[in-house]
Amino acid sequence: MKILVIAASNVRRMLRDRSNIFFVFIFPIAIILLIGAQFGGGVDPRIGLVVGSDDQLAADIAESIESAEGIETNRFESEAELVETVERGGAQAGVILPNGLSEVAARGDVVEIGFISRPDGSGTQLQSVANAAIAKVMTAVGAAQFAASETDASFEEALSTSRPLAEDGSSIGVEVTAVGEALFPSSMGQFDLGASSQLVLFVFLTAMTGSAALILSRQLGITKRMLSTPTSVSTVIVGESLGRLGQALVQGLYIIGLTFLVFRVDWGDPLGALLLLIAFSAVGAGAGMLMGSIFRNDQQAAGIGVILSIGLAALGGSMLPIELFSPTMKTVAHATPHAWALDGFAELLRREGTALDILPELGVLAAYAVVLLALASWRLKAVITRP
Amino acid sequence: MGNILEASGLTRTFDQLIAVDDVSFEIAEGETFGLLGPNGAGKTTSISMIAGLLEPDSGRVTVEGVEISTGSTKGKASIGLVPQELAIYPDLTAVENLVFFGRLYGMNREELARRVDEVLDVIGLTDRRDDLTKEFSGGMKRRLNIGIGLLHRPRMLILDEPTVGVDPQSRNAILESVEQLSSEGMAVLYTTHYMEEAERLCDRVAIIDEGAIQAEGTRRELVALVGETDRISIAAEGDLDAASSAAGSMSGVREAVTGDHTIEVLAADASSILPELLGRVSGAGVNIHGVEVIEPNLEAVFLHLTGKALRD
Ligand SMILES: Nc1ncnc2c1ncn2[C@@H]1O[C@H](COP(=O)(O)OP(=O)(O)O)[C@@H](O)[C@H]1O
Ligand SMILES: [Mg+2]
Repeated sequence: MKILVIAASNVRRMLRDRSNIFFVFIFPIAIILLIGAQFGGGVDPRIGLVVGSDDQLAADIAESIESAEGIETNRFESEAELVETVERGGAQAGVILPNGLSEVAARGDVVEIGFISRPDGSGTQLQSVANAAIAKVMTAVGAAQFAASETDASFEEALSTSRPLAEDGSSIGVEVTAVGEALFPSSMGQFDLGASSQLVLFVFLTAMTGSAALILSRQLGITKRMLSTPTSVSTVIVGESLGRLGQALVQGLYIIGLTFLVFRVDWGDPLGALLLLIAFSAVGAGAGMLMGSIFRNDQQAAGIGVILSIGLAALGGSMLPIELFSPTMKTVAHATPHAWALDGFAELLRREGTALDILPELGVLAAYAVVLLALASWRLKAVITRP
Repeated sequence: MGNILEASGLTRTFDQLIAVDDVSFEIAEGETFGLLGPNGAGKTTSISMIAGLLEPDSGRVTVEGVEISTGSTKGKASIGLVPQELAIYPDLTAVENLVFFGRLYGMNREELARRVDEVLDVIGLTDRRDDLTKEFSGGMKRRLNIGIGLLHRPRMLILDEPTVGVDPQSRNAILESVEQLSSEGMAVLYTTHYMEEAERLCDRVAIIDEGAIQAEGTRRELVALVGETDRISIAAEGDLDAASSAAGSMSGVREAVTGDHTIEVLAADASSILPELLGRVSGAGVNIHGVEVIEPNLEAVFLHLTGKALRD
């Protein structure tokens, strides 16, 4: 099959180019990691602690925080030192546990614990981690306070009884309720959001910059030479299109596979994810072919391809999640194939949808692909048969 | 021997410019036909029409009796086109390029594997077979460019200025392989603006300028056409005037004059009269020191026909 010969040579040539290897395979993963790190770190975030030197309750709470999973902790001598470290980013948050906490608790008063954080998103997440650790201790304290006030037992005696119970988890739970609808469910892994948005961004980017190869083939006279063999124009065009699709699929499957295996990114229903990837790759192939048929200069096409694909990706929700867009911008965003693909991945991932649930997204993407490929074929036929 | 190629009345204009104007010729099996003309003469445009890459405004091309057109792949398997530009993938190896185009020529795997080795041998790239072509020298790229056109053993090989920008060694290798292929019965269409190449390779040459064929024939026919003659320059001493009048009375000699220690003889065909000529000259009592035969070349023919030099 000559179509497959042409398609395969395109894929082979993509895998050959060293700078391509970087942009196609290394860079996207690096970006996904970077975004993942911002969402909670490939390196665990750090909480600084200032702990009163002779207070049992402070020591207990500190220990509880230190044993919490997914964070690193550091103790500091003074509150000033902690604040400075947090300001400089040496820690993302700080908890201040002064002397006298036990006394306050024994009196049955409200225990106040200082929490400081950086003004970025990480603080809120760390606060909930700290809260949970504190709650674990304070549940027992609350029970002991109650017991001490209702019985003859002292607060200390009551606490020593209630603590093992609290740690068993058999104690009264502390319920934490978030206000408003959760945009991203807590079950979502730290890399999940970045992975699908970067997949979409980079697959499209590769397809667009790949148009340069098509132009180069024309400039070198290779396309003409192909037509001097017993190979029809339509075979050449379909082969080149299929080659672009193949390139996008290779990259997409690599990103999905690697992030799934190494970073445990959840891509949801496998069939749904595969169909989405194929549909979106076809859109990218069509866009790349169209670019390749419009421009005469490969450098120019690659440059404009980069700008266009970054712009479309930003508009389509690959940079800032579309959930955070205003209603008008959401509508505008859906002029891009990116938004539809990301909607599809969101459906699969966050709402546990199946291939059936993403039929509308698949349909829209298929329509994009058909229109772009038809336009590109028509343009390309004119261009490559031109003297 | 039958004609492999028949091109008749090929004409093509670009906007106002008549790039090719009523070009006709045939090429027989085993024959090497040259299109000799300067840049812009219409060589590539003619070839594009012959190879079915460019639709002529009028005219017709058949290869082995099959009509060639841009809209059809018919007959194209009989042609091996070596385009003027280096139409090879820089990011594929020599073998990968050969295999790619071999598949497009419709060759199957085993046949292709065998031919790839043979062709690499012919073009002298066997030891560089697995290197990326972007690392090749200009001459190596040219040779690969030609090799691709040979892969499927076409009945007709079309070479468009295959030696442009090539070192003398590669050039010689290229000319030798064309001679070899021609001797194996391939019909060759060879375009060039180097008259030495046309003289060396081509059985017949068409001189093309401004889109039209100005004259066509063997070198000797072309030379005769414009009335140019061979010149024999005999370095000698003695009674030169007597010797030149003896030479001048010989049939086949057009003119003989005495020069400065030389006798200059003009003749239609130097080689056929040379033995007798030298006998007469020495018979007239002169000592011959040396003989030089200068045949008129196609450059002179071109100048005569167009009033301009082949290379500007
Ligand atoms: N695609 C084209 N568009 C316009 N003019 C062309 C085109 N191709 C060739 N020409 C013109 O036609 C003439 C013949 O060109 P060409 O066949 O390439 O000459 P050669 O191969 O003998 O150097 C030149 O004047 C050239 O500028
Ligand atoms: Mg030319």
